[in-house]
Amino acid sequence: MKIGDDDLRARTFRWLFGKNSEFWPKNMKTGMWAWIGHRLTGLILVVYVFMHLSFISTASINHDSFNDLMVLTASPLFVFMDFLLVVVVIYHAMNGFRVVLFDMGIGIKKQKQVFWICMAIAAVLVVVGFYALRNNILGDLMGGG
Amino acid sequence: MAEPKIATTKVAGSWPWFLQRVTAVLLVVLLAVHIVIDHFWNMSTLELSVSSIHLRLGQLIWIGVDWSMLAVVLFHGLNGTRTVMFDFDMFIKRKKLVDVGLWILGVAMLVWGIVILVPFING
Repeated sequence: MKIGDDDLRARTFRWLFGKNSEFWPKNMKTGMWAWIGHRLTGLILVVYVFMHLSFISTASINHDSFNDLMVLTASPLFVFMDFLLVVVVIYHAMNGFRVVLFDMGIGIKKQKQVFWICMAIAAVLVVVGFYALRNNILGDLMGGG
Repeated sequence: MAEPKIATTKVAGSWPWFLQRVTAVLLVVLLAVHIVIDHFWNMSTLELSVSSIHLRLGQLIWIGVDWSMLAVVLFHGLNGTRTVMFDFDMFIKRKKLVDVGLWILGVAMLVWGIVILVPFING
């Protein structure tokens, strides 16, 4: 039997957001989410490396291009995006640490607790990161530089 | 969802798996140095420009730190990308092409990484 477009859409919606969905918080599979998050953050970071090198390469065109770009990247919006990058790096690093622990046979039986402990440490590091960048993100709002 | 015909770990190989862990540990150390020295040290007073970066990259040790970090980042990033690609059958079937393509991309980016540092080294 051929599935109609509307039926397929409804089934896809239920699969993504329904109460029996794997993505519903009650059914959440911590390891699966950690795995998806690790892959997504990894791919984001690979794209970032390309962007980072592209930005640096503007100095090869002429010095002013690079200097102008650096002035732009010091703006609060760009520094906020830097902060988001810090969040991505910290998640990837802390979940990577959890994976290495499992590779060594440590904490496998308590994998959910290990995940949340790693995320708690990650949260602390994110707060430290925000504190370090606070003046550059909130500078204008706080009336400072 | 059907079980994959071949386990991803078997396709990816044990050396890439091992080196992914080694580069991860190296990255934590190198990234900490890179972020602290390049981005947070005197961040409020030091404006990033070709001449200010030249002050650091005029020293051979920092060229070495930056370039070795790029090499480690590229290996870790592209090897991770390879693992993600091997989650899909269409890439498993083209393993050799994926491997050769990623090596070429990695080496090209490493060379590019040296070339784009020249303006900062010369000042």
